[in-house]
Amino acid sequence: MTTTTTATRDSSGIRLFSWFLAKRLVQAAVVIAIVSVIVFLLLQALPGGPARGILGQQATDAQIAAFNHEQGFDLPLIQQYFNYVGQWLQGNLGRSFVMNTDVSSLIIQRLPKTLILALAAVGGALLVSIPLGMAQALRRNKVFDYVMTGLNFIVYSTPSFFLGLLLIMFFTQLLGWLPASAPQGDTVAQILSQPREMILPVLTSGLAGVATFSRYMRSSTIDNLHEDYVRTARAKGTPMNKVISRHVLRNSLTPVVTMLGYYLPVMFGGALVVEQLFNYPGMGLLFWNAAQTTDFPVLLGCVLVISVATVIGSLLADITQFILDPRARGGVK
Amino acid sequence: MSTTIVETRQVPALKVENLVVDFKTKNGTVNAVRGVSFSVAPGEVLAVVGESGSGKTITSLTSMALLPSTARTSGVVEVDGHDVLNASASAMDAKRGNVVSMVFQEPMTALNPSMKVDKQVAEAILNHRGVSKAEAHARAVALLEKVGIPDPEVKARNYPHQLSGGQRQRVVIAIALACEPRLIIADEPTTALDVTVQAEILELLRNLVQETNTALLLITHNMGVVADLSDRVVVMNAGKIVETGTTVQVLTAPEQPYTRALLAAVPTLPEAQWDTVIAAERTKASFPEAEVKEIVAVDPVLDMRGICVDYASGGRKLRAVNDADLLINRGEIVGLVGESGSGKSTLGRAPLGLVPVTGGSITLFGGNALKASKRQIRTLRSRIGIIFQDPGGSLDPRMTVGDSIAEPLVMHGVDGRRPVRSVREARVAELLEAVRLPAANAQRYPHELSGGQRQRIGLARALALAPELLIADEPTSALDVSVQDEVLTLLLELQKEHGFGCLFISHDLAVVHSVSQRVTVMQHGNVIESGATSRVLQHPEASYTRHLLASVPSPNPIMQKRRREARFALLSSKDS
Amino acid sequence: MSTATLSRTAPPKSPAARAAHEFFSNKLAVIGVVIVVALMVFSFIGPLLYQTEQVSTNLMQADLKPGEDGHPLGTDGLGYDVLGRLMIAGRTSILVGLAAGVLATILGTLWGSVAGYLGGWVDATMMRIVDAGIAIPGIFLLLVISAIVRPSEWMMVLIIGAVSWLVPARLTRAEALSLKSRDYVLAIKATGGSNSRAILRHIIPNTIGTVVVNATFQVADAILLIAYVSFLGMGLQPPATDWGAMLTDGISSVYSGAWWLIFPAGIAIVLIVSAFNFIGDGLRDMFDVRGQS
Repeated sequence: MTTTTTATRDSSGIRLFSWFLAKRLVQAAVVIAIVSVIVFLLLQALPGGPARGILGQQATDAQIAAFNHEQGFDLPLIQQYFNYVGQWLQGNLGRSFVMNTDVSSLIIQRLPKTLILALAAVGGALLVSIPLGMAQALRRNKVFDYVMTGLNFIVYSTPSFFLGLLLIMFFTQLLGWLPASAPQGDTVAQILSQPREMILPVLTSGLAGVATFSRYMRSSTIDNLHEDYVRTARAKGTPMNKVISRHVLRNSLTPVVTMLGYYLPVMFGGALVVEQLFNYPGMGLLFWNAAQTTDFPVLLGCVLVISVATVIGSLLADITQFILDPRARGGVK
Repeated sequence: MSTTIVETRQVPALKVENLVVDFKTKNGTVNAVRGVSFSVAPGEVLAVVGESGSGKTITSLTSMALLPSTARTSGVVEVDGHDVLNASASAMDAKRGNVVSMVFQEPMTALNPSMKVDKQVAEAILNHRGVSKAEAHARAVALLEKVGIPDPEVKARNYPHQLSGGQRQRVVIAIALACEPRLIIADEPTTALDVTVQAEILELLRNLVQETNTALLLITHNMGVVADLSDRVVVMNAGKIVETGTTVQVLTAPEQPYTRALLAAVPTLPEAQWDTVIAAERTKASFPEAEVKEIVAVDPVLDMRGICVDYASGGRKLRAVNDADLLINRGEIVGLVGESGSGKSTLGRAPLGLVPVTGGSITLFGGNALKASKRQIRTLRSRIGIIFQDPGGSLDPRMTVGDSIAEPLVMHGVDGRRPVRSVREARVAELLEAVRLPAANAQRYPHELSGGQRQRIGLARALALAPELLIADEPTSALDVSVQDEVLTLLLELQKEHGFGCLFISHDLAVVHSVSQRVTVMQHGNVIESGATSRVLQHPEASYTRHLLASVPSPNPIMQKRRREARFALLSSKDS
Repeated sequence: MSTATLSRTAPPKSPAARAAHEFFSNKLAVIGVVIVVALMVFSFIGPLLYQTEQVSTNLMQADLKPGEDGHPLGTDGLGYDVLGRLMIAGRTSILVGLAAGVLATILGTLWGSVAGYLGGWVDATMMRIVDAGIAIPGIFLLLVISAIVRPSEWMMVLIIGAVSWLVPARLTRAEALSLKSRDYVLAIKATGGSNSRAILRHIIPNTIGTVVVNATFQVADAILLIAYVSFLGMGLQPPATDWGAMLTDGISSVYSGAWWLIFPAGIAIVLIVSAFNFIGDGLRDMFDVRGQS
């Protein structure tokens, strides 16, 4: 392409970044709007409306009509939708039908606990899978690689509640080392004060992460090992181990970091199962209990919060990639 | 520089004796190099030339001990008197970048994309010299200046993608030079570059070799590059050395039939009238307006006027082609040349409806190709044939060759109706014969054919509906020179036979010269100059065309010397 | 790099033959095929040879150990024969998994190829809908829907299909975008060929690789999702069951040492899901599809 001076290239980099950011923000806003419509439509899809779900089969038509009027369910759909959005924007996600509390305060109480579990699991998984994936790539198609690839597949194919069950049978029943129930308590501090209880839940959700991340890291490292710049580095006399630590590692990490943003929905999904198995008082358990009691404001509030978190997560992932990969910054394809 | 006869008993910078390299693959053993011997004296430039599969690149990688682990070697390779084939990994790490270093073909990917340029140069110094980081950085900046990077202090802190292709290749050269090695191996160092940038890089390499007395092993397929830079030549074919000698002797009076055939296949440019051209450049003779009138629309198949093409990119409009005119008469071949980013391919795709034309008019076979109804445009376009650059990508991998060739027949029908199988098969056989391929090829798949064969298939497909206009976009750029020669000869024969008009898009002036009657030169989206091929190539009017012509290296070392001098003269008259 | 003269055996002719050769040289993929076939025979032909009562409970026969009273794998708390139950549960898991995976693939492929080929605003709108769908974790949506309607087998297929078509939609769109600019598609467009020819003859046949590979992974994921839904108590109504439900029922037996209520079902899930993943991996090598995990 045509050569331009440094000055215009730098300013074009900034311009490109603002363009990228603006485009991505608009996209994220549109996606959140669509999510809100889906959540609203789910609310409408309840048979007999939410009233029947709450008041039960025995409720009379008059009771239902009164409830609908009280809740604003008899207004036109569009108006109801914008009423909801107005409430959501003020942080009001409605009241639990069952627990007689604000949904938002329930979520604020539970979300940090889920995040602690998730962060510990993802962090641990990264610590294991980055070196593991690299080691597999470096010994590609050797016995070690085959064994680890096979194990990864098997862990990936194991339902997490079965995995958790196996861990309980091994560490709790057989060895008696670890408790099978998760830490309990209302506050984050209480949770953090029971580290032994945290181990099995973290291990269960972390292992699935290892299986996913190390596959990414392996293929990303293999791709980078074939890049020309590796040969250039070798040609200047850089020993192979330094080529890997100085050049290959950083370039291989970029796609893994990006992937983390997209991993959020998987993580929340996993939390749902793990929290239920270990009875860990996070958002997943809140959601599960709400599903048992058809507590729709809680269910939909959780879905809304998690979806928005996911959209923000992938937005952050894209921005991180833009910053990590100088090629993306320069806009050179 | 031409110290061809080494009389002093110096240790050769590189000695290769009876080198054999084999690769173990799933499908058996591949003999890449079969008994090759040569040596490079200090300060000497030795060129190894050959087509793909000749083993030249493998030979160079062996000298760096950078072969993949599936390779098995035997023989002797010594760099500056040190054995390479049996050296330990750490011993080779100490040699690479220090005693012997390498410049690669692809400057766009040869540098680490996420590391700043100065760090990448400094790494080579820190690997071998016990200096501080600050000292290494200072040396790196000095090296960048030495290889001709403008604003080296600023560029040093850039990432590779912020540099142009030529600048990146200069950085790779700076890395190779960092520890003043005895030998630099340059593997196709200019192949990925535009011809004007190639001339700059060749000049840089020549100056560096002269200044530093470093030996240079130049691996290339380009005879012009050989003629420009090297003292001696080794010609390789199928893993063996065919001929060795001084550059002048091999390129002007080759002894072996293979070398002769290879050289005969290289398209050449007629020598421009350099004295008059340089004089015209000095006096700033403007190019005459009358030039356009020289082109007469006799029986135009394609007439494009004032074409503009705009792309949207990163929220901004990019003008790829600006107010360009192009005319092709029935039965003539028009060359469209330019460097990358000149807009030549974009202009060539405008009549095909593949690019967003935002201004101008396109007349195809007398009909308006921009304003007609969809149906009319479809009929107009059915009279065009096209061939693309990449012979691998232009055929659907899941279709047999016969089906691919027959597709235009099925699409547009024969005599107004969909052809039955027997008609189709007969026509496919006829077309295969026309491109000199056995009819049995119809049952094969593209992956079973060589690049040259695929390009012939592409030609057969393009000719299926007996087109009146053929658009060929870099049809031979991916091919070896001997295969290119065959395809070009075939194209000329077919054109004579069928009399179609042809737009021949290429970056290679010599190729365009060998096929076209008229030529149009483009730069940065603008048409710079148009005219009869011989006139444009010998009496170029536009300053850019002159510079372009002087940048194309001639495969004749004597002529190349003159061309090089002409290039200097043109550059200096530009500066003044 | 130079490619040198190659002395080799004649390669198979058509791309299909070449691909099959590639697939069968992948040992894991072959193992995957063997496991899938074996488990299908077990689940669909097994009940014909080994007939057990799987509708009404029999508390007299509850909690028998393996081998007792002619029950090779014992019985569960309701007196169902575990081996026989494993067979009918497998039928549900495999059938629902296959149907949901195929449904998701078809939906996703159509959505993605239309978006990719048309481009512009249509593409942007269609893909934002996909983004929104991906932002809502499928299992949450599944639970909400299950709370609204108690699923039958076919309902389950529809629901799982409805939450799983998003990833194939993204992949197919990317593939269609790249194929659209291949020279052989451009050549059709440029010389007056129709859009339908470009799509039907060139784009779709060349996306087959991506689609088939992804379909295999979709089936694996769908089988896992069924298990999760059952674990979360929103699965099929008894006496219908699937491997996930059997395993979930077994969880309460962890402390009683009734391993036969846990391991057969658990291992069956791991086996079938791994097998589909192995096959997908082999198919990916075979079609040389990149960028999927």
